[in-house]
Parts: sequence; C-alpha cells; structure tokens
Amino acid sequence: MGASVPDQKKSRFELEDYSLLFIVLFLVAFGLVLLYSTSSYVSAAEHEGDSTYYLMRQLMFTGAGLLLMTIIVFIPHRLWRFFSVPAYLGSIGLILLVLKFGKTVNGAKRWLEIKGFSMQPSEAAKVAVIILTAFLIEIIGRRRLQSFLGFFLPLVPASVMAVILWKITNNMSSALIVLAIAFGMLFVACPGYKRFIVLAVMGVAGCVAGVFYIVRIADQGGLGFRESRVLVWLDPQSYAGDTGFQTLQALYAIGSGGLFGKGLGQSMQKNIVPEVQNDMIFSIICEELGLFGAIGIMLLFILLIWRLILVAGNAQDLYGALVVSGVIAHIAVQSILNIAVVTNTVPNTGVTLPFISYGGSSLFFLLAEIGIVLSVARTSSRAQEQEKIKT
Amino acid sequence: MSGGKEEKDTGISSSARQRRRRSPRRFTFSMQKRLLAMFALIVAAFVVLAVRLFLIQRDNGRSYTMQVLSQQAYGSKTLPYKRGRIVDSKGTVLADSQLVYNVIIDARQMLEDKAYLEPSLDAAARLGIDKEKLRAYVTENSSSQYYIARRNLPYQDRRAFDTELKEGIEAENKAAKAVQAAKKAAEEAGEDPEKIDPVEFVYNNIKGIWFEEAYIRTYPCSTLAADVIGFSGTANKGSYGLEEYYNDTLNGVEGRTYGYLDESLNVEQTTIQPKDGNNLILTLDANLQSICEKYLKEFNAEFKNKKHKGNGSNNAACIIMDPHTGGILAMASEPGFDPNNPYDISAVTGMPKLNKKDTPTTSYLTLAETRTMSDKDKARYLSALWNNFCVSTHFEPGSTAKPFTTAMGLETGKVKTTDKYECTGQLIIDGTRVPCAHLEGDGVIDPAGAIERSCNVALMQEAEKIGPEIFCKYQNVFNFGLKTNVDLANEARTDGYLYAQEDMKAIDLATNSFGQNFEVTMIQMITGFCSLINGGYYYQPHIVDRITSAGGSTVQTNEPRVLKKTVSEETSALIRQYCIRAVEGEHATGPLARPAGYRIGGKTGTAETLPRENGQWIVSFMGFAPAEDPQIVIYVVLDRINNKKQDEAGRACEIARKILSEALPYLNIYMTEPLSYMEQAELEKMGLYDTNDRVQQTDQEGQ
Repeated sequence: MGASVPDQKKSRFELEDYSLLFIVLFLVAFGLVLLYSTSSYVSAAEHEGDSTYYLMRQLMFTGAGLLLMTIIVFIPHRLWRFFSVPAYLGSIGLILLVLKFGKTVNGAKRWLEIKGFSMQPSEAAKVAVIILTAFLIEIIGRRRLQSFLGFFLPLVPASVMAVILWKITNNMSSALIVLAIAFGMLFVACPGYKRFIVLAVMGVAGCVAGVFYIVRIADQGGLGFRESRVLVWLDPQSYAGDTGFQTLQALYAIGSGGLFGKGLGQSMQKNIVPEVQNDMIFSIICEELGLFGAIGIMLLFILLIWRLILVAGNAQDLYGALVVSGVIAHIAVQSILNIAVVTNTVPNTGVTLPFISYGGSSLFFLLAEIGIVLSVARTSSRAQEQEKIKT
Repeated sequence: MSGGKEEKDTGISSSARQRRRRSPRRFTFSMQKRLLAMFALIVAAFVVLAVRLFLIQRDNGRSYTMQVLSQQAYGSKTLPYKRGRIVDSKGTVLADSQLVYNVIIDARQMLEDKAYLEPSLDAAARLGIDKEKLRAYVTENSSSQYYIARRNLPYQDRRAFDTELKEGIEAENKAAKAVQAAKKAAEEAGEDPEKIDPVEFVYNNIKGIWFEEAYIRTYPCSTLAADVIGFSGTANKGSYGLEEYYNDTLNGVEGRTYGYLDESLNVEQTTIQPKDGNNLILTLDANLQSICEKYLKEFNAEFKNKKHKGNGSNNAACIIMDPHTGGILAMASEPGFDPNNPYDISAVTGMPKLNKKDTPTTSYLTLAETRTMSDKDKARYLSALWNNFCVSTHFEPGSTAKPFTTAMGLETGKVKTTDKYECTGQLIIDGTRVPCAHLEGDGVIDPAGAIERSCNVALMQEAEKIGPEIFCKYQNVFNFGLKTNVDLANEARTDGYLYAQEDMKAIDLATNSFGQNFEVTMIQMITGFCSLINGGYYYQPHIVDRITSAGGSTVQTNEPRVLKKTVSEETSALIRQYCIRAVEGEHATGPLARPAGYRIGGKTGTAETLPRENGQWIVSFMGFAPAEDPQIVIYVVLDRINNKKQDEAGRACEIARKILSEALPYLNIYMTEPLSYMEQAELEKMGLYDTNDRVQQTDQEGQ
C-alpha cells in the first residue's frame, strides 16, 4: 500500500489518476474485443450476416460515453449536489415513461426507445441515486447519522427508487443494486459496525429462510419466475431443458475452458448460451481465456476498485468521497453479482458485467460515473497543489 | 512515506489530514478505514468467486467439456423418407405414403412485432389451426420457436397457402409502391401527402409459420386385402401382414440436415438426403381380391344375425393361388378392417367373444359392448380382427384332407385304383364307433368313389393300409404342421396339433384320414393341394412378386421356386380325376361349386370343431379350375356359419362357384361347357352374362 502513497514529484499525475483512466480504458477496450468475440455469431445470425452489429453499437456508445466522461472531468464535482434532486426526479420520470412507451424485452418492461435507440432508465437511476445519497449524507452529517432516523434517512431515495424499479420495470436486480449502492455509501459514512453486522446477519437469515420456504412450497406449484429461479439455482440439471438452460450452458462453457481456455474467438458455446453478449459474457471469457483470463479480469476489477478507493480516500470533501464510494459500490456489486450468477453461486438474475457486457446505457452511465470520479481526483490534486504552494 | 499511522493504514496524504480540522464535512480517518473494510469485503467476494470457478473446472471440467462437444451437432434435423408402396400385380396401389406437412409455429418470430400477431394467427387459422388456442400458446410460450401446431396438412393445402401468401405480398408491395409514388406526387403538387392512406400490410406481416415434411400412410383401396397388407402407423412401424413382414424393406433411411462449426467457427450446413423405401409388387390381383371379398361379404350379409346377433360366420376366408408358381392371387377374410383407421373398435362388433385363452366362445359382441370395452379387451379383439385367418388360424380341415390321404396311398402303392372298400355307414376301431358322413352307408366303392362321395369309412380303411409311418411321413411331405414360410406376418406353426408317428393310435390314424384330429392352416392346405394337382410340384407360396427401389428398378424378384416333389405325375393326374368326380359325379358332394360353363375339380370339407357334438362346424371347398388344365386353385373356408345348421359344405361351394364364375372369365379362361337356361339366368343375375351380347356374337359368326 505504501507504494501508492503519492510521491510529491509524481503527485500531479498520480492524483489526476492516469492509472485509473488507464484501467478503465483497458477494461473498455478489452470488453470490446471480448464482446466481438462472443457476439459475432449471434449478431450474424440475427442481423443478416452482420457479425459486427453489436460491436458497432457498443463502439458508438463507447465513443459517446468517453466524450461525456471527458466533459464531466472538467465540471467541479460539487456542482452535482445541485443537480442531484433534479437528476433523481428525472430518472424517476424516465422510468414512468417506460411504463407508458416502454419496450418489453424478455418479459420485462425495461427499455425506453427513442428514435431507434433504446435506453435503460435504471442505469441513469443508479447515477442519480449515487449523487443524491451522497448529498443527503453530507447534509445530515456524521453525528446525526448515528441516530436511528439519521441512519435510515439516506436510504430513502434509494429505497423509493428500488421499489419503483421493482414494481414498475419488474427489474429486481437493478433494485437490489441501487439499494446496495446506498447501503455501501452509508457504510462508509456512518460510524460503527454493529448495525451493519446486524443488518447483514438479518439479510442472510432472510435469504436462507426464503430459500427454505420456496423449496418447501415448490411441490404445490404456482411459483413465480423468481421463486422458480431459486429452484433452478439449487439444481440446474433438473431444469436443463427449461429455465436452467442458460445457467447450465454457462457452466458448461466455464467448465470446458480449462486453465488457459480455448483461445480468443474459439468458444463453442457462444451460439448456445442465451444472452451471451449481455449477462453471460463472463462464461465465454472463461471458456476462451480459461481460469487464467477469468482471474485476470477479476484482478482488473480489484485493481480498478483499489484505484477508486484511493481517490475516495484522498478526496478533499465528504461529498466527493461519498460519490466515489457509491461508484465503488456500484461497480463492485455489479461485477460480483454478475460473476456469481454466471457461476451459479447465486440464483439467476439479469446483471451485466460492468464495462464488458453489451449494453449502451450501462457503459454510457458507467463512463459518466468514472468522469465524476476523475473530477473528484482532479479537485483533490488541485487542492494539494495549492496546499503545497501555501506551505 | 512520512510514517504516520493513518498513512500506513490508508495511504492518504498528510494534507488531507490537515484539512479535516477546518471542514466538518471532511472525509474522516474512520471513513477511510471503512473504505478499506469495504475493499476487503470486495476482495473476499472475488476470492470466493475465483475459488468457485476453480472448483467448477476441477470437479466438472471433464464432463462439461464433453457436454459442450456433444452439443456441437446442433441444428440437426432428420428428414423423413418415404415408405415404399405396395402395388398389386396390375399396378393398383394398395398402400402408399403421401407427402404431408407439419405446421410449425415460431412464437418468438410471431411476437417480434405487434403487427405480426393477428395476421399470423389468421393465416394459421386458414391452415385449420384453432386461432384462440394458438394465441394462448404463443402468448404463454413467447420464446418457443418450434411448436407443431398441426400435423398432416395435405400438400395441396400447403401449396394453396404458399400461393396466397406470395400473391398477397406481391399485391401489397405493389400497392405500397403506388402509395409512395402518389405521396411524392402530392408533395410536389403542394398537397398534404398524409391525406393518402398508407397500405395496411397483412400478408407481409404473416410471420413464424413454417412447414416440415412428413409422410402419412394411406390405403387407397381401404378395406381391400386389409388382412394381407396389415397397416403402418406414423412411426413407420408396420403391423400385421405385408407391412410387418416387409417392414425393413418398405422403410428407407432417414436423411439428416445438420450444421457444424468449421475451423473458423462458421456454421456449415450439410444435408444427407433421405433414402426412400422399396416398393412391393404383389402376385395378388386387386380385381380377383375384390371378387373374393365381394362374395364373402355377400355371404356375410346373408347370414348376419341369422341365428344369433353377429357376423355371418366367425370367419369367412378365401385364397386363390396360381398352382404353377405358388403365387397368391387373392387372399381374403371376413371380417376385415380399414387399415386407414385400424383402431376403430366398432369393427369388432359381431365377432365371437373370446374366453381367457383367447379362443372363441358362442356369445357374440354387440356394438354397445365394444364401446364400453376395457383397453385390454380392445387390444385382444382388435388383434383378433387384424389377424389374417388364412395364415394365422389353424383348424381341422375335414374332408378336404381326403385327396391327400388317397394320394399318399396311391403314391406308395398301398392303395390301388382298383381297391374296393365297403362302407356300412360306420366303422368300429378299437372299440370306438366312427360314423361315415352318410350313415346309410356308401356300399362298395373304389378310391375314386370314396373321394366322390366323401366316404369316411373307405378312407379309414385306406389309412389302415397306409399305416402310421407312411401317413406321418407324407403329412410332412405335404408340409402339414410346418410353416410354409409364406411372406406374411404371423404365420402359425401347427406341428403341435399333429400326431407323431409313435403317438398315433389306430383311431387317430383313422380320424386323421378324413381330416379330423389334426390342425392345419389354410395356406398349408392350399399349397399342398396345388402340388397334388399340378403334377406334384410343391411351390414356395408367396405374395410378393418382386421388390423395386423407389426409383423403379427391380431389387429382387421372387421367381417361382419348387421346394419339393410331393407326388408323381400319375398320382397327381388320378387325384385331379377324383376331384373332378367329386364335383361332377352322380354322388358328388361338391356339385354346387361348379361355375356355369366350366369344368372344375375339387373337394368339400365339413369338419366338426372341438369339443365334438357342439354343433359347431367349419365347412370348406378346395378346388381347381379349369378341370383339364388347372390355372387356379381356390380354397374357401367358412368358420361356424351363423345358421342353425352349420354343417353344409354347400355354402362354401356356392361361394367358390360365384367367385369362379366371375374370376375365370376375368382370367381369360374360356367357357368350355354349354350353358343351361338356368345357368344363363344365374349368370345374368350376377351381371356376368348378357343374352343380347351372345345373340349379337352368334349373329356376327353367322355372317
């Protein structure tokens, strides 16, 4: 850890954080390569032989996202406090628009289609929740956070958003992620571990009880798709031709990868695993690059999160630090959840792998978040420069 | 690194620490610690997942790799072959497989756009699919891409659908083009182009309906020769008759179309065309067959419900065979069934009920009973119905066996043409009284007279001279008790119903001599009889003349095959004479069998069934025509006529006469005998004789 302590000479570059930028760019570029590898077959099959359909669309969003990121880097991050409420309400508005004009994909209304481009308002909602929750925590202050009400107040926007996402767009995974983001930010800000431990234990106990309950009532039939996913999770083989197909095929892909994989582009499962370019892309990474490549990707995420933690820790203000913490929570939860789903460690739920999975909205808003993080880093390095001059 | 504890822990610069004091909203040291805690948790989660990945590969790597490889033959689809036809000797198609289509619904495609669903469902409805049921299926299984909504769509319907679709799309596209042009024109003219209504697409929006080839088996002549043909279900599995016996010949090899990934992971499509099955060309003549069936049905109609509710007889069967080849020209049995609908249980109405051993009883099935039958019973009765009586049922032949007994006597010299036997109406053998057919006694007769009168006593005396050794040997020569290996399914073996020489007592020999106490099948009898009257050549009986490939080239020919010589030419000639006397003689038992205008030979049979004295009889006539140069051999068997008096062989003779009256002219065998007025009238009634025609002919001859 000591190595990452800024050296005075290097500090300017360090704290403007080129290494963070580099990791992000590397992930994005690597993601594009993997996306092309996994999606080319499906793309060609679905779009009259055009194997680059998904790649091109993703490239477009990458370009737009990088542009947005560059702009955001130069916007002082504290400005976002004033935009947080409108952004939050705006994203709720977008979700309500989905209700009216939304496009149904795979049985859930999650997409808003504007002139041929579809977007997922849930991705915007995550950003909005991050900047609003950070703002809220800053207002409430450290001391008042410790009171009962103060503890739960910062969770309100996220909870409202989660309910909306769940009930209106039927998107439980996004709801969970939004909650996790706020929870993570609160964890960083609020002193004491006790409450979190209690909450975590309660959460785990609730999950275990839920699983037992579902297994018990399974025989009576009439399970919703969420409940049946739990059964599939416990025994994917029994549902091989049905709801367990995706999970099982992903496991086949992982299992057949071996230590070093079949080589980039050599996947045999990419035309079989459903949603291969979206939620299941990690299974093809395992198949093509093997355990080695998969752990490499995980290390990249850990490295990215470490860089983000450094930015948060060096932030000049609580707001900036909390925003970065939210981004950390977002990326961490989503990547962990995605890999957990692909490896059937948790029940199947639709979560994309940040920076790598196909999905314009997700990438676009992730890059925006990185933009905010970079602007926080930039502010703190500026402040240090000034400090240095003063002293 | 400046050595502070905080720095050590968090790597956060000293300047940040200084700031803390100034701003209460600062990011505190404890928060930094918590950030690290969060990081630790995240890393732990990743470690868990990495371990999980490792475990998946370690524990399941091998089996999953195999699974992945085994899934590579994806997109594989079998292509159905066409099962071969069954065609009679004149080219009439008796069984055929027709190309039909299964309608496949791709729900995903149908739901791709809102505009697709209604037109597609309507189009499906036009293909005879229930629209609302399909709608329910499609909405519930929105990702389904293969659902067989309808089977066996006829080829014409599919073509009509395709044509309609094509024309509809063309018309719509044309209209759309016109509208576009009109809009452009309106725009140029400064008018509002929106006033022109767009074309509403219907045919262009029909999506997600596909067709898949399949074949169904059809029997164009429906019940004709059903017992011979058998039937074949959808899985190309033949049951009974030729369909079963020649199942493998008729079946082809399935084709397959499959995709695989080539080296650069492109999908390659490969199709192996199916190989259609071979065709059977029969010796059977559909016309002769229908003649036989016509008169058997006529008989059945006459005696139906006569004594009791039920069919005209338990079974009524007829075989016509070519004595010079062993080819079966006709083989019919009543009751029959429709192979297009073999499971129609109502067809068993009127059949005798079966006891636990599946032997017929004297009560009969009513239609109501067939409806309430258990599945197990249904299977029993249907298999009894599908059974081909001519090859699968065995019975005591009765007096039709007498020519065989006489032939073995003559052949071995044990019986001479000049022998005299006295019949007093009965014979006591080992204390058992065996009556003759004529209880008043036939007087003193020679072997020819014994056949003519069908005298049991004379035959018993002949058999006594022959002795069990020769008798049993010759039963074997005539192939009694053994399978003839005719090319039909389920031929019965009856060796268990014959006496072995060592077990044969005098009484058994005596009763055997006139065809009681041993059992045979019709095919055994007629094949043996052919050899008796054709000079002693025992031909392999067969019904398939040749097998051709789907393309029409001959694959196999069943040439007439002599298996053995049963008797000499001389004996054969004598038997022919005796049999002619049995039809034409003064005391003949079979005069009713003679068709007007022809001379034939033959022998009647009246066999009591077991248990004796139950009043249940099987009557039969076995004959050949024409008398001088036999071209066909006919064997008619009536199993338990639905009549008070069952033991009338004349009933069988009548059927044989009617069949021959129609069959002989059909076979271009000319009349040799003058017709009496009565005979003319009878033929006219049968529609076989036209007085005017004959008058015209004689007129022409006169000129």
